[in-house]
Order: sequence, then structure tokens, then C-alpha cells
Amino acid sequence: MAVMITEAPAPAGRPVRDRHHRGVSRWVVLALVTVGALVMLVPFAFMLLNAFKSPGDYSSGGPLSWPTEFYTKGLRTYWTEVNFPLKLWNSTLIAGSVAVLGVAVSLLNAYALGIGRVRGRLWIVGLFLLANMLPQEALIYPLYYVAKEIGLYNTQLSVIIIFTVIQSAFGTYLLASVMGTFPRSLLEAAALDGAGKWTVLWRVVFPNLRPTLAVLLIFFFIWTWNEFLIPLVMLIDNQTQTIPVALASLQGDRLMDAPTTNAGSLISLVPAILFFLIFQRTLARGITAGAEK
Amino acid sequence: MQRFRRIVTAIALAATATTAVAACGGGDSEDDSGAKTLKLWHYESENSAMGVGWNRAIEIFKAEHPGVEVRFERKAFEQIQQNAGMIINSSEGPDIMEYNKGNATAGLLSSQGLLTDLSAEADKRGWAGKLSPSLQTTARYSDKGVMGSGNWFGVPNYGEYVTVYYNKDLFERNGVKVPTTMAEMTAAMDTFVGKGVTPLGMAGAEYPAGQLFYQLALSKADRQFVDNYQLYKNPVDFKADPLKYGADTFADWVRKGYVAKDSASLKAEDMGTAFIAGKTPMIVSGSWWYGRFKTEMKANWDTFLFPGNTLHAGSSGNLWVVPANSKAKSLAYDFIDITLRPEIQDLIGNNGGVPVAGDPAKISDPKDRKLIEDFNTVSKQDGLAFYPDWPVPGYYDVLVGGFQGLINGSKAPDQVLDTIAKPYADGVKEITGK
Repeated sequence: MAVMITEAPAPAGRPVRDRHHRGVSRWVVLALVTVGALVMLVPFAFMLLNAFKSPGDYSSGGPLSWPTEFYTKGLRTYWTEVNFPLKLWNSTLIAGSVAVLGVAVSLLNAYALGIGRVRGRLWIVGLFLLANMLPQEALIYPLYYVAKEIGLYNTQLSVIIIFTVIQSAFGTYLLASVMGTFPRSLLEAAALDGAGKWTVLWRVVFPNLRPTLAVLLIFFFIWTWNEFLIPLVMLIDNQTQTIPVALASLQGDRLMDAPTTNAGSLISLVPAILFFLIFQRTLARGITAGAEK
Repeated sequence: MQRFRRIVTAIALAATATTAVAACGGGDSEDDSGAKTLKLWHYESENSAMGVGWNRAIEIFKAEHPGVEVRFERKAFEQIQQNAGMIINSSEGPDIMEYNKGNATAGLLSSQGLLTDLSAEADKRGWAGKLSPSLQTTARYSDKGVMGSGNWFGVPNYGEYVTVYYNKDLFERNGVKVPTTMAEMTAAMDTFVGKGVTPLGMAGAEYPAGQLFYQLALSKADRQFVDNYQLYKNPVDFKADPLKYGADTFADWVRKGYVAKDSASLKAEDMGTAFIAGKTPMIVSGSWWYGRFKTEMKANWDTFLFPGNTLHAGSSGNLWVVPANSKAKSLAYDFIDITLRPEIQDLIGNNGGVPVAGDPAKISDPKDRKLIEDFNTVSKQDGLAFYPDWPVPGYYDVLVGGFQGLINGSKAPDQVLDTIAKPYADGVKEITGK
């Protein structure tokens, strides 16, 4: 090892390009990352293991034992009992609408705050941040009463509106600070060319922020997908419910059905993972977008 | 900016309107005989005893009410537990639903005027005659929402009680006979301890410890004590029997090794799975385990009543309630009536549940029959004593904390009784105002 470090100092002025000759620290980091990744995967491994175990098997062997049979009834029970395709559609509809609307609202808000520089923007951004930090439990009752009064209680629209606001509070905060650093010269050049406010937003700001917006879109989607409390309160019909609420219906008063819950979690996780895999490249590009400039 | 202001005004207006409407909510609409749908919710799983029984009840209801649509939805227990008040205070709620019994749930909603008074129907249809006095306790609530007296706000369909589950194979292998008295019970546990087996499964982190303590205390108690403790008839002295006896005996059992010291941090699920896996000879717990043991356990097992007690922890199961906003009240009453018929009650019994008005002679499986006969014995001698954590809100955690200390030996019985006495007194003072 020591040889590797002392051997062949890089020629002056030329950085080392060969990644296999960068010393021992690279391998240490790799090992640490691998261990970290494995630790992250342990809960998923347990879920996978127990999703295909019969309840009797689980009760007598515990969560760590290897299943004695390949048991798929838990998966099938969950699928049919909660009418999973409908819940999947509901979740996708809600999370998808929130993601798109949330990003659109954040963009417009942030344009006014970050580039439009409205008066008192610091306070407004602070207010948005505060709204984002409020625990949802504190919001539940006011939301419930308003929704009930305007006839939106038990509709998906109520959840979409609520989460569009909550998510765009964060989005506005983030985008406003990003836009605060937007090169002024670019905006001035556009203005000189006769571009109005709308054209500047659409032709200059939007294309430059696209990677960041894509990341926001994905985050909003996944956050909304995983939300539990507000959908639980606002969507009381089985026809309108989302996947996390359906999962909760597997838990009884005093009894739990661990294998079915595991099976349910497994099915419920798949769409989010697929979504993540599809947009993974966008995510990576968005995060490094600032770094390349 | 102007639009923003308009939205703010709209929200403010909506908020004011809400308070005004909420203040005069709960209006009765008795004339709903023309209702054509019955919106019905419960949270029992499809193949549980109640799930099977109620599915049949829905079929009978449909046959007897041609032209009425039943819109049944299976809900999450969590959802009903957390939001029942909000749900039935809206127009989107069900016409009839299953709801949790007790002061903090059905009692609270009844005192807020969100539930329909069922007293007239109970008289007319003879529900009172089908339910024993200790089962009726959880069906009736005073105007303050305290159970035990007042109007009917719910109707139970099934019961539950704490009993002893034992592993027959382990009993035979160790030459232990089924105990019928407390002396035989301790002798049996001594035998197991002598062979290096911990006889009693326990879960200190959840309800089992409190229930065992209560069960032990009840062996020295009478109905007057239960009324004092649960219904606040008279003050309860925690430093005297029966509660003192319960705590002392519990500590004694821990010292003698009947209960494992390291069970202080276990959950009820751990206790149950250890019993299913055949690692524990006995557990003292509720009839809610019965169906699960029946389908999952390979070893031979059965139940016996906690020896020597006439009073047992237990109560009616959850209730059918009719929200005040129900749009089909008379249909809801008809449905409740169907679920109390012998046919449905026996069906619940034959699927491993404990029907409130079941006939053991109609139950085919001997183990099922034993479970129901035992329940009927307890129920007939007015022996259902409810649960130790019922009297005051938040008492569950107090009991868990107290008895964890007793199991792991960090507290003496006297100290535990002190710990649990004060929150009880404070809570009772808050409820009764005395």
C-alpha cells in the first residue's frame, strides 16, 4: 500500500486521470459507502423476506427465519382486499397533480420574490418557511372545517390543494434563493431585446432552471406519495383513498398481521421505486447542475 | 394582491360560518323511512369471526329490504380511532358504523351529541334482554359520557375477556394438570420453574402486565370495588386490598420466576408469537388472540378461566353506533337487530368469536364451545370487570410504566402503587369534578 502512495508522483501541471492510481483512501471510501448502502438495504431485505412468509410461519419462526414455503397469499389478499389498482390511481393522481401544480406555483412565486424583488420579500420568504415548518397536526382542524364548509371534504381536490400549498411553500423558499443569484446581465440583455416579464420568465429563467425544477417535481411527487395524516383525515371513502391509508387498514385494534403488512408495503413501494429509477438521471443532473457552472 | 385579499376574506368567512354551524349541529331527522341506501362501515377483517358474521347479516338485510342498496366499506381501525368525531360531524359519514366502546370514544361522542340515542329501540326490540348487565355497561352512557348508566348509544355484538391460554403439549410433557384453583396454578408454575421453563408469557411494554395485575387484584375483589374503580362510585384506596394484593402477588410471581425479568420490554406481539412457537406454556390474555392461535398454532392448546376468580377483566366488544347525522336511521336499527339474531350470533361463535347472545349448543368445535361457555359463565355471574386502564384518559401508559418497574425489579410494589395512584386520583377528579 505504501508503495502506491509514494510511487510515481504525478507530472507537474497534469492531474492524475487514472482512477485506479489515486491511493488507498479511495478504497476506504468505497468500502464505507458499500457498508452504508448495505445497512440501508437491511430493512428492505427484511420486508422482502417476510412478505413471502405465511402468518403461522412468521409467528413460530420470528421475523428472521427463512420461509418454509413461498407464500403469496398475503400479496394477493392485500391486492384484492384494498382494491390496489384504484388506490394506485388515486395516489398517482394526487401526487402527480401536486408535483406539477406545486412546481408551477413555486416558480411563479419565486419569480416574483427572487427576480421581481417585491417589497418585503425577506418576510414573505420567512413566512413561507414558517408555513413549511408548521406541524401538520396543528393544521388538521382548520383544514377540516374549511374543507367541510366549502364542500371539498372527502374529495381528492382538497388534498391536492392542501399539498400544492404546503409543497410550494418549500419550493418557493428554495427557488427564491436560487433566482436571487440569477445573473442580472442575462435579464438586462433580455429586457433590452424587448422581452416583457412573461417572456423573460418563459424564455430566459425557465430554461435555465429546468434541472432544478425537475428535482423539485420528483421530490414533491415522492413526498406527497408518502403523506399519511392529511389524506387519512380528508379522504374518508375507500373510493378516494391513497396507498399509505390503505396500508394502515391492515392494522387492527389489538392484532397485527405482519406478513400481509410486509406484502402490502412491498407492493406499495414498487411504484415509488419505479418512479425514482426512471427519473434518477434527472435527479443526478439537477443536483450537479449548479456545480458545473 | 387584490386576489390574495379576496382569498383571505373567503377563508375568514368560512371559518366564522363553521363555528356558527358547529354550535348548532346534531339536529335530528327522524323521518327517514324512505331512505334507499345504508352506508355501513366497520373495521373487522374479511375472514375474522365478526367479518364473516356481518357479511351474512348484510345478505339477510338485503333480502329483507329489497330496493335498498347497502354501501359497505371496510375502514382502517386507525382512521376510525383518530377521526370518528370529524367524520360523523360531516355529511359524508356513514349511516351506521362500528365504533370503540369506552368513555374516551363512544362516551365522548355521545356527550357531544354526535350519536343517536338508541334507548327507545333497545326497549322496543328487546336488545336489553339479550345483553347481560355487565355487557350493557359499555352500551350506555350518561350525559357526561361516563359509561354504566343513562341512555343507550351503542349495541355490542361480541364480547371479550381475559383468560388463560395453555400449551397442552408442554403441560403433558412436564406432567402438569390443568389447574382449577389458585393453589394448583402456583403448584403448576413451580413445576415448570423446577424444570427450567418460565411458565408465564409476559409483555411489560404493553397491556398484558396491567391486565395480569388487575386479574390478580380481582381475585380479592367484589362488584363494589369494580364500580368504585371503573365508575367512580366511591374513592379507591390503592394501599389496601385488592389492589395491594394484586401488586404484591405480581412482585412475588416475578421473584419466584413465574414471569421472566427480561419480559419488561417485550410487546404483546412478542408474547403471542412466543406462545404460538411453543416456547411458553401459558399466557394470561384476551380472547382477541383466539382466532389467530387457532389458525397459526401447530401445538395443541386450549383455554381455562383464570382459576379462583369470579371477576375477570373483559367487556363487550366494540359497538354498533348510529351517528346523529345518519340519513337512514330506521334501516340502521333493522341492521343492528339482524346482527343480534341467533343465526348471526352462532355464526360469529362458529368462527372463533365470542358472541354476546350465542347458544353454546349450536357451536360445533369443542374448543370454540369452551371459549363461549366460559364467557357465558363470566357474563352470567356479572363477572366482566372491564380493563385496568379504562377509568381515566392516558392511564394505559401510567400502568405500563409502573409494571415495567415491577417486572425488572427496579421498584417495590408499594412504590408502583404510589406511581399509579396519583394519576388515577387526578383523572377521576377531572371527570367527576370532586
